[in-house]
Amino acid sequence: MTRSATGPAGRIAGHLGSAAAVLLGAATLAFLALQLIPGDPVSVLLGPSNSGSPEVRAEIAREYGFDRPVADQYLHYLGRLLQGDLGQSYQLQRPVRSLLADQLWPTMQLALAALVLAVVLAVVSAVATAGRRPGFRAVASVWELISASTPSYWVGIVLLTVFSFRFHVFPVAGAEGFASLVLPAVTLALPLTGVLAQVLREGLEAALEQPFVITARSRGVGLTAVRLRHALRHCAVPLLTLTGWLTGSLIGGAVLVETVFGRPGIGSLVLQAVSAKDMPVVIGVVLLSAFVFVVISTVVELLYPVIDPRLRSA
Amino acid sequence: MRPTLSRLGRTLAVGVSGLLLLSACSSGGDTTAKAGSSKPVAGGTLTTAVDTEPVSWDIHASTQDVTAEIQRGVFDSLVSQDSDGTFHPWLATKWEVAPDFKSYTFHLRDDVTFTDGAKFDASVVKANFDHIVAKETKSLYAANLLGPYTGTEVIDPQTVKVTFSKAFAPFLQAASTTYLGFYSPKALAAGAGKLAAGGPADVGSGPFVFSGYTKGQSATLTRNPDYAWAPKTATHTGAAYLDKVVIRFLPTASVRAGALTSGQVQVAKAIPPQNVTALKAAPGLELISRANPGGNYNLWLNGSLAPLDDVRVRKAIQRGIDVEQDVKTVTFGQYPRAWSPISPTTPNYDKSLEGSWPYDPKLSARLLDEAGWTGKDAQGYRTKGGKRLTVEWPQLSIQATREGRDVLGQAVQADLKKIGVEVKRPNLDIGTYNTQVYGGKANIIDLSWPRFDPDVLWLFFNSGSAPAKGGINATFLTDASFDAWTDQGRATLDEKTRADVYPKVQQRGIDLAVVIPLYTQVSLVGQSDEVRGLTFNASNWLTYYDAWLVQK
Repeated sequence: MTRSATGPAGRIAGHLGSAAAVLLGAATLAFLALQLIPGDPVSVLLGPSNSGSPEVRAEIAREYGFDRPVADQYLHYLGRLLQGDLGQSYQLQRPVRSLLADQLWPTMQLALAALVLAVVLAVVSAVATAGRRPGFRAVASVWELISASTPSYWVGIVLLTVFSFRFHVFPVAGAEGFASLVLPAVTLALPLTGVLAQVLREGLEAALEQPFVITARSRGVGLTAVRLRHALRHCAVPLLTLTGWLTGSLIGGAVLVETVFGRPGIGSLVLQAVSAKDMPVVIGVVLLSAFVFVVISTVVELLYPVIDPRLRSA
Repeated sequence: MRPTLSRLGRTLAVGVSGLLLLSACSSGGDTTAKAGSSKPVAGGTLTTAVDTEPVSWDIHASTQDVTAEIQRGVFDSLVSQDSDGTFHPWLATKWEVAPDFKSYTFHLRDDVTFTDGAKFDASVVKANFDHIVAKETKSLYAANLLGPYTGTEVIDPQTVKVTFSKAFAPFLQAASTTYLGFYSPKALAAGAGKLAAGGPADVGSGPFVFSGYTKGQSATLTRNPDYAWAPKTATHTGAAYLDKVVIRFLPTASVRAGALTSGQVQVAKAIPPQNVTALKAAPGLELISRANPGGNYNLWLNGSLAPLDDVRVRKAIQRGIDVEQDVKTVTFGQYPRAWSPISPTTPNYDKSLEGSWPYDPKLSARLLDEAGWTGKDAQGYRTKGGKRLTVEWPQLSIQATREGRDVLGQAVQADLKKIGVEVKRPNLDIGTYNTQVYGGKANIIDLSWPRFDPDVLWLFFNSGSAPAKGGINATFLTDASFDAWTDQGRATLDEKTRADVYPKVQQRGIDLAVVIPLYTQVSLVGQSDEVRGLTFNASNWLTYYDAWLVQK
């Protein structure tokens, strides 16, 4: 096996460069969006049914620099971002960074639980049914289709109705311990499971038709072992790509799930911020999401060669 | 998020919650015996589900009811107002009001301490009031409540004098609200950001301590064991009965209702009207419905802008809306239709307005004929000189669905189409909305403004409350009678004068057809029958001080 001179270090450096470009792009778009919102920014900040006294308005304008030219505001904004300062929430009177930091962990817990659950369910469902009897396969396929296409808002309410309100198995809301994580994680995982299982089954079935399967079988390897050791590895790369992409989308899914279940987290924060037009928080969440996407895609790319030896040579 | 999808989700959610309530009813059977439980017992945790989470917890800055309601347990006020409007001692044992209503002298209790150990005295009153008006506080409401405040004078540790540049009679009412409650000196020093963030930094002298807050989830209040200065309006003295009050933020209505029927919360606020019937039928649950005091949900007609600068056109619109039927349908019969701009639970409500301006489309047609809108175009709308009779009533996208107001708006549109008036409802974001509406460019504005004092009429009708000056007078008219009466009412506490001027204001508002009251907002609160002593104060907020739980 030959390795290029730059090796993994060079690859990582390249990734970091493009990651920085993505973040700068996201920051710029967020700033532009802020400029394009119609209306006087001070009015926007004050919220509805509230015109505020001239003193209050002047204080807000001064504090947030609305009197400076736009280019000036942009540079000032980038400078602040570089120092890790995401600004101050107008409505909550708190630094955005500390707000995000406080709300990040509950969302991470939820997203990780949902991700693990989704991958396990998808692998079990696909490995068990790929290339098996058509009836069996059809049932699995239908449930995956349903779970991928049902709105999670509705799934959440149905789960609550059955398992919390009717049978009192799980608490209705909050983030207190494992029991309160089960229903939200299932709600968030279901659509993911459906998509992953469908893709994985297709990949498995293609792999199972390859000549190497017959070779392996002729050497006496069992059917399940072929599926798990050989075929699964073949379709793991597209699965990984898709999982990475879907993980990023979990932040969006968390908005609905956290609202229904009354859970703290980035999702409920962004909902409140969007409805109250709390732009610094909205921008903070946009940047955080961009950052999460960049991290995930980097991790996914670094994992490719681990899974597929053919990708190791540069 | 596509709006159609979320609306579908909502519809489904309502359906599912209906099923759930039915199943909860049929599975009942654990009704607790009520006998022998009339004597309050201490202990236990009460969990309440509310629909909104405070944006800011700072009582001196926030405009939100939910902030004031929850923080009522943590902060005390100078005086307390009962539901008849009478004032009683609280942190002030007695007070003198200057005859010209320009100054108030309060004599304070000497045994009050904050939960951080600091003593409550005259200097604390001064520090708090000065903090409210300081521009760094960015107060959006408390500063308005202080009106023409000029300063507070510490006469001795137990006596303060609060002064105003003009006569300001509503001050006692303002002083009784949470918004003018008192932070401990140390809490004030912590700065506005800390106060707004909530939690243990918010130190008061109330029956509860704000012990914990998880954003997006819940707030926790714990009993203050040393509390011994309850107002006369409470039913007991000493410490609160409950060990703990947990307030959970559950924005989804069906989830709130489900949490209540399954016993995971004991109290749920803002029960949706469509769930009321099922909830009333459920064993072990009670529903309390109380009309909110203050401004009703009203339509305000901009009298300074054509075509509504003609009183006949305004009158035609007022009588051309079938308020009774529209409100009944949209609110499932839970909210009463309104006859006056203020609700029946507000002092000096004018009962004689009831039934005085019924639905009368024939009268509307006659009035529009008189006003010269005699033509008709292809769509059936009236015209004058080739111009269609169109009014613009903007809606704010984020608030549109509150209490079904979007649907009610459609009903109003349909009614007015019948008399040939076109109502346009552009959907605006906050920035554009504020510029348009407060700039007087809209014909109709809808607004509800709860407050337990007829002085709210000053905000609605006095020219001093013009939107250009930061007020909410959406009639955009300067009317000498309105100004004189509302100024008179504001400048006195004399019941006879107030009972004379305030009904006249309401009457004139209807006569000039600058206002079309639609409905009175009602607090719909569901509670488990193990909860006792939960009371509403004059502003219709839940107070937890007298509440206790039946021990099972």
